[in-house]
Amino acid sequence: MDATDMPAALMVRGLAKAFGRKVVEGVDLCIRPGEFYALLGPNGAGKTTTLRMIAGLMRPDAGSISVFGRNVLADPLGAKAVMAWIPDEPLLYDRLSPLEYLAFVAGLWRVDADLAKSRAEELLDTLGLWPHRNERCEGFSRGMKQKTVLAGALIHDPKFLLLDEPLTGLDAASARLVKDILRKHVEGGAAIILTTHILEVAERLASRIGILSGGRLMAEGDLPGLREQAGVSGSLEDVFLHLTAA
Amino acid sequence: MHSAPGFLWLLRHELHVLWRGSILVRTHRHVLFPLITVGVIFQGIALLLAGQIVRHPLPTDEMLLAANINIVLLFALMFSRAMMASIDVIYGRGDADFLLASPIPPGRVLAVRMLGVGVSIAAPWALLGGVLANALAVHGQFWALAVYPMLLAEALMVAALAFAVVTALLGRIGPAAARRAGHTLALGVGIGIFILGQMSHFLPPETLVRFWQAMLPGPDGGGPAFLFARGLLGQGGDLAASIAFSLAVFALAWRVLAKPFAEGAITAAAYRPPGRTGAQGGKFGNTAFAALFAKDLRLLARFPGLITQVVYRSLTLVPVVFILAGKFTSYGGMAVVPPLLVFLAGQLGLFFISVLRGTEDALELTASAPVPAYLPLRAGIATAGYAALLILAVPVLATMARAPAMLGPLLAGLSGVLLCNLMLGLRLPIPLVRAEFGKAQTGTALGLILGVSVSSLWSLLVWLIVAPNPFAWLAPHG
Repeated sequence: MDATDMPAALMVRGLAKAFGRKVVEGVDLCIRPGEFYALLGPNGAGKTTTLRMIAGLMRPDAGSISVFGRNVLADPLGAKAVMAWIPDEPLLYDRLSPLEYLAFVAGLWRVDADLAKSRAEELLDTLGLWPHRNERCEGFSRGMKQKTVLAGALIHDPKFLLLDEPLTGLDAASARLVKDILRKHVEGGAAIILTTHILEVAERLASRIGILSGGRLMAEGDLPGLREQAGVSGSLEDVFLHLTAA
Repeated sequence: MHSAPGFLWLLRHELHVLWRGSILVRTHRHVLFPLITVGVIFQGIALLLAGQIVRHPLPTDEMLLAANINIVLLFALMFSRAMMASIDVIYGRGDADFLLASPIPPGRVLAVRMLGVGVSIAAPWALLGGVLANALAVHGQFWALAVYPMLLAEALMVAALAFAVVTALLGRIGPAAARRAGHTLALGVGIGIFILGQMSHFLPPETLVRFWQAMLPGPDGGGPAFLFARGLLGQGGDLAASIAFSLAVFALAWRVLAKPFAEGAITAAAYRPPGRTGAQGGKFGNTAFAALFAKDLRLLARFPGLITQVVYRSLTLVPVVFILAGKFTSYGGMAVVPPLLVFLAGQLGLFFISVLRGTEDALELTASAPVPAYLPLRAGIATAGYAALLILAVPVLATMARAPAMLGPLLAGLSGVLLCNLMLGLRLPIPLVRAEFGKAQTGTALGLILGVSVSSLWSLLVWLIVAPNPFAWLAPHG
């Protein structure tokens, strides 16, 4: 099957959500398998709300969402089975060890025992958490917690990853490591959508960038495409500030 | 020029934060009306009781002994509570470093924290003791109003000592172990009070009389050992001396602790406790339900203060054990065992499910997983029910052996009360886990009140089934 015949990793049409005021308004997104997509926007632009609706944590007021052909609204469990979501605050149990946490997440996604165990060992080793595998997470730094959560997200080998500020709290070496892991995951055919305020991360990692402002998708494309849409020549920062100034 | 906020401004902020965290504020507003009604009824009963006290006054030495016992028990109860409150305000609430980084003198921050803890531990006892004191004052016994300054003075002294002990413990064993020490102390005090209350059942009357006579103050009024008791009974000089002594202890503790607090040594000792290591390897290959159940069971087992809280609630088992062992036959004998066990099951179920609700830090992780929304709820109910039944297994088996006919109503009552309180706890958990700085508190007193009511109703129902006339033992014998 040709890559273009495959269902989109993510297909969002006319997504809208209001909490008294409109937070997300008519957002369309299409992300292909093997694509790294960065969703940028100023604070309050609706990035996290968009991701939460895609993850099936919040029902949109209007619009449709499908992940690898599965309708998130009609078949949320089927869609969640191929997804992993990492929020900006690490979702972790302080009184569980990383190994126990991974066993829990693997159970939720029904990963085969032997496969889950070997993946857990590999992930903990890669992320430098192996020496801490039996320590409770309560004493972990923000970066260690973030890495544990990332290991949890990857243990079921998701085809689609939603990452909300995944590099927050990581030191330079850890950030590089995480970026390499994510890049490798995309090269393996998975798709990633990430939000970040670090424009350099988006510029280096993403093949396409979407800029959200006031709940609307203002522009989308690679950097030259964004420059063209914005009518600005310069860095991503210049383009971003120009598009979100209004 | 900028000037740091004053002591009173800071104290008002501290009391505001403590008030916001208090159980009354977390209580659903619909509960406040019945609570106030109960308070008014209590005040009415206290007025009648005070009338009796005024008409039949106790001898002075017995009054002094009663006052001294209250002072000692209050000291112990306040101390364990103050230890936990001190850990919370230094470490748990998470805003100590924030205030230390502000231009407010650190000594002022510490003094306000100590004062805040003192006021917060005195308040419930002032409410309770004040009911009788107010009633006595209505009957012209104005000396009883000395309870207010005495309670505050004692609470300030206790808070100061608790701060000193907690900071010493935090530096050596960390906040989690220090909190456990506080819980253990509270448990010891609770058990001690319970045993004292049961003494009349187990000691010969002549031994008891000798014991209490030895405890009475001598003709000199008991000397320094009874200073606080005399103050509590409104003797002016002793009241002033008790307050001065308490304030001196408070000032001394503040003076000793102010420097390390200012240098950040006290808060640093609590900063980022090392995670405990142990044989905690996870078991891979669980189904979603088994994974949720295993996670819930781990979180339950690792809840700080689990043992003390369970032991507290399980004190109901003491009379059950005596009855099952045939050592105690009053008040209906075996017939009171099923209702007691049903009541305990309800309280344990509510407690366990509230722990699970309070420690659920990653609700959205499960929500983002491909599992039906009801599965985590079922796993929580199963875990809490399993833990409650584990504790009740032995007494239930013993009941089956001693009175097989009662097993049916007992099992029906256990199932009913557990189901009701587990469902209730899912919606209205009792407040057990203090919220982190900036986060919302889980749990309300409404759950606590409704849970006790549900346990009581099921208990009464089972009692009526196993003993259609449960109060027959009250009727005069033949």
